[in-house]
Amino acid sequence: MEQGLATIISAAQIGAAIALFNGAFTTFGQAKIVAQAIESMARQPEATDDIRSTMFIGIALAETSGIYGLLVAIIMLFANPLVSIYINFVS
Amino acid sequence: MLDIKNYWVIEIAGVEVWITESIFNTWIIMAILITIAIIARIKLRNFKEIPTGFQNLIEAGVELFDDIVTGAMGNKLSYVAPWFFMVFVFVFSSSLFSAFGLRAPTADFATTFALSMVTFLMMIFMGLRHRKGKFLKSLFEPNFVFFPINLIGELAKPVSLSFRLFGNVLSGTIILTLWYALTPRIFQIGIPAAFHAFFDAVIGFLQTYIFVIISLMYIKEAADG
Repeated sequence: MEQGLATIISAAQIGAAIALFNGAFTTFGQAKIVAQAIESMARQPEATDDIRSTMFIGIALAETSGIYGLLVAIIMLFANPLVSIYINFVS
Repeated sequence: MLDIKNYWVIEIAGVEVWITESIFNTWIIMAILITIAIIARIKLRNFKEIPTGFQNLIEAGVELFDDIVTGAMGNKLSYVAPWFFMVFVFVFSSSLFSAFGLRAPTADFATTFALSMVTFLMMIFMGLRHRKGKFLKSLFEPNFVFFPINLIGELAKPVSLSFRLFGNVLSGTIILTLWYALTPRIFQIGIPAAFHAFFDAVIGFLQTYIFVIISLMYIKEAADG
């Protein structure tokens, strides 16, 4: 019982770490958006305000997948459904 | 940390209603905002054509927000501005609320999901009102085979909208709770102020702005095509 529970919890922790790893790619995409925005701001300084607001929207949309990963990690760590399933299964 | 505390359980017609921490904090924010609104109303009773002082401040705020809405949606649809002004003020003040060490109502998925469901219903309602049959037809574009994909695409909008706000506010809450729980007492003076300034004020404002702007974009997409 204890060993099985320990296995499940450690697997959940590893799963949470893998889920958080997509933050790397999310940040990469956001960096690309900002780099392009700065480039076009330097090319067209008079359009800075429009580019900035569009950039924020783009950043937020790119952030969505990172947030999904974060939520999966949080569920794995704090509200793990597998533990209760296992306890129900054993008892 | 992640548990939302439950204060009271009330029974209404045999149904248990849980008054949780986030509902209670929502009431506090509502009380503060309603008080401010009533004070503003009383102060603006002698409305002047040429604004001065307090009236100037209020008019500047409303005008700024009107400009954002008109810029995002155009003149025809800008009548949704009052609702989104309310959403903006509520979400931003609830982000600031966690700077006082209390739990922000937007760190509860129910709050953000309710707000994004309103956006979803507005999307459907305004699409039907402004485009009528064309809005329903746009679900079957380019072919009727694509109907399930389009439907899932529409249903994913409120989910992603609510998860984005919820995830950002919750991550700030978790990081601050970890800081308060794990560090010795000396580091809890002064240093959390910087965290609160970043996670509550900066991220809170940015996410509020993005929530409103993306809601406006979705509604404009549904209503204008």
